[in-house]
Amino acid sequence: MKKYISPLAAVILVALTSGGIVLAKDSCLECHTTSGDKPSALFKHDIHFQRGVTCAGCHGGNASADDMDQAMDRKAGFTGVPKGDDISKTCAGCHSSSEKMKSFGSSLPTNQWELLQTSVHAKSSLKGKEQVVQCITCHNAHGIVQVKNPSSPVYPLNVVKTCTRCHADVAMMRSYNPSLPVDQLEKYRTSVHGTRNAKGDTRTAECANCHGSHDIRTAKDIKSKVYPTNLPGTCSACHSNVAYMKPYKIPTDQYEKYAKSVHGIALLQKHDQGAPACNSCHGNHGAMPPGVESISKVCGTCHALNAELFSSSPHKKAFDDRKLPECETCHSNHEIIAATDKLLGVSPEAVCSRCHTERQNIKGYQAAKSMRSLIDSLDAGEQQDIKLVDEAEQKGMEISEAKFKLRDVRQARLQSRTMVHAFNEGKFKEVVDNGLKTSIIVAQESQSAIHEYYFRRFGLVISTLIITILAVSLYLFVRRLERNKIQQ
Amino acid sequence: MKTILKRLYTWIDERVEIEGLVEYMGKKYVPVHRHSIWYYFGGVSLFLFIIQVVTGILLLLYYKSGEELAFESINFIMSKVQFGWLIRSIHSWTANLFILSAMIHMFSVYFEKAYRKPREITWITGMLMFFLLLGFGFSGYLLPWNELAFFATKVGTDIAGVVPVIGKPLLTFLRGGEEVTGATLSRFFGFHIAVLPGLFTVLLGIHLLLVQRQGMSEPLHIKQESDRKTMPFFPNFILRDLTLWLLVLNLLAILAVFFPWELGKKADPFAPAPAGIKPEWYFLYMFQTLKYIPGKLWFFDGEVLGILLFLFAGILWTMVPFWDRKSSRGEQNRIVNYLGLFAVMYIILFTIIGWLA
Repeated sequence: MKKYISPLAAVILVALTSGGIVLAKDSCLECHTTSGDKPSALFKHDIHFQRGVTCAGCHGGNASADDMDQAMDRKAGFTGVPKGDDISKTCAGCHSSSEKMKSFGSSLPTNQWELLQTSVHAKSSLKGKEQVVQCITCHNAHGIVQVKNPSSPVYPLNVVKTCTRCHADVAMMRSYNPSLPVDQLEKYRTSVHGTRNAKGDTRTAECANCHGSHDIRTAKDIKSKVYPTNLPGTCSACHSNVAYMKPYKIPTDQYEKYAKSVHGIALLQKHDQGAPACNSCHGNHGAMPPGVESISKVCGTCHALNAELFSSSPHKKAFDDRKLPECETCHSNHEIIAATDKLLGVSPEAVCSRCHTERQNIKGYQAAKSMRSLIDSLDAGEQQDIKLVDEAEQKGMEISEAKFKLRDVRQARLQSRTMVHAFNEGKFKEVVDNGLKTSIIVAQESQSAIHEYYFRRFGLVISTLIITILAVSLYLFVRRLERNKIQQ
Repeated sequence: MKTILKRLYTWIDERVEIEGLVEYMGKKYVPVHRHSIWYYFGGVSLFLFIIQVVTGILLLLYYKSGEELAFESINFIMSKVQFGWLIRSIHSWTANLFILSAMIHMFSVYFEKAYRKPREITWITGMLMFFLLLGFGFSGYLLPWNELAFFATKVGTDIAGVVPVIGKPLLTFLRGGEEVTGATLSRFFGFHIAVLPGLFTVLLGIHLLLVQRQGMSEPLHIKQESDRKTMPFFPNFILRDLTLWLLVLNLLAILAVFFPWELGKKADPFAPAPAGIKPEWYFLYMFQTLKYIPGKLWFFDGEVLGILLFLFAGILWTMVPFWDRKSSRGEQNRIVNYLGLFAVMYIILFTIIGWLA
């Protein structure tokens, strides 16, 4: 029998190196097909089978041997069904070797196993023995087809179903991460991405597009594609790609604008993880542009007071009637710049003047003008206070109380900025007046400290002068006394 | 005017018979020689003590002891009380000048060998007052309950706790517990305004009485009657003293206005100690020495050995009238001079090193 093995191996080798055109003898498959088992039936449609990989490629043994004992001889390398981490290692035997992959005519990357080891799936383990996810968990064991094949479990339209086999399983997820939601699929199906995916659009985002495929990390992992500071980049991978987004006819400048916005600067430059990323406004699994009416609700999740004031303001009805997006109308959407007092008033850069002019909506025009004037006076008061407090401090005066009150002035200014959203001149004036009163007290205390500084110096000069004159007089008196004594 | 004063004097004399005292004062003379200048530091120290008592009493009108009140009350004194800033700054500056002046006075007495018979008790009372003065400085430093004071007290009491046998009970006694807390502040306040002033006043009374009774000591080099020059204690020396006091007052006013004593941050027992924490300058040479001594010296703990060494040096210094027999006999004692010079150089050098470190 042995004499046949070498020529047979040569034939297999030729078959393998020729890109799988010639199929090698697979006595395992022959027997198992005869017995009518499922794996062998599936394997006939398997890409590996088509590329000339025999059962022995994964299970070991001698696939060319007709004798079952010889074919499944453990001395000949037969391993049987790989268990635990050996499953992925078996796959990696070829898939991590570029030479072997080339020999099968494959141009697939060879770092999948390496990437899998960095993923949360490789780290999660119940018994500490084996990784929770093996290659076959997502790719199947027998009947593996190429990713581009619509029957593949990792084909774009099937990925969601494959992932949710575990991720929608409450009992299973509880074992690994009870705090992780299991409604991703449900939400996804309501999203723009999910509805398009359900309609057969393979270009829209599915799980792997945002989370990665082999190197999936938890959202808390700084290297994760969905880590807050990485998320805008992940979304923009598609949404900023003009060619890719062309069929959808939506703008592709969102990331560019977002990066310049107050939110983008906070998140991307200052690494403030509390700052909103794309998903904060659009949702993550249920991603969708917020509707006109829900914008204030979305912004209001963080800017709660502003949203509340706006909802009870006269602008609410006016905006609703004109179908104007609430916050967005004045603050824009992706390119939200830091709000300054300039937004208020009737000057050309003020947003109020877009609707309120001297001829149209005059009441609002007057109110905007007055409110701007009020906030400007509070700002000027605060600036003057800062200068005075600094000056007093530089002179070494104890000014901690005025300094503390200065924070109240600043607080009043911030409150007035919030109060703008009530669009009620009376309420706004009340807040500003409180700030102005405190500002006057701070100015008085600081000026008094500065005055005290000069008073101390003046007092010192006078007292030093008096004491010196007294000391000199005493000295001269003693000298005279001693002179007189000598003369006597 | 003269008649009124004369009548007032007569009125008092009729009741308390001060004529004898005035006569005694009139006959009292102060030696005049090339080292006479050093006599004035005793008077300056007395003047600074008087200022401390007066400003201390004024501060007491507003100061509130207690973890939650001490810092705030000092802040109130400095910012709200009329001239409170001046009183507090003068009190703090005077404390430092007082110790400096007392040190100069002590070393001048030492180098002039003024401690020799019959002035041993004067020296001992002076030395005891000097130690009390250090106690005043240490206890007063904590009273504002600011960050620096808190940690300096922690370090200082830690060092006291290392003293063999009595260290641990001493530490507990000083702190009023295991840690520096409000209880420590209350104790230090008590020491600072009651215990120490009481003891100090008694010692000062004895010290001044002895100085008046025995007169000023003359240096050893004045041996012959023909070399002896004097000036009347009253009014010449007193008026000269007064002139110097006025100049010191001027200096204090300038320091208080141009370098007001800062309050710093309120002490937070849970905060980490700020970097480079140091004691007041008059403890710095000892602190710096302890830093240089290795952890283990032969079989002894380095720190314990250092503390015992300073303790021994302090006792030796205090007892100088009893072991320097040569000076008592009117002979020159070079060893005493060298020891004194070494002490002065050591203190100056290690204070500078500690300051720069």
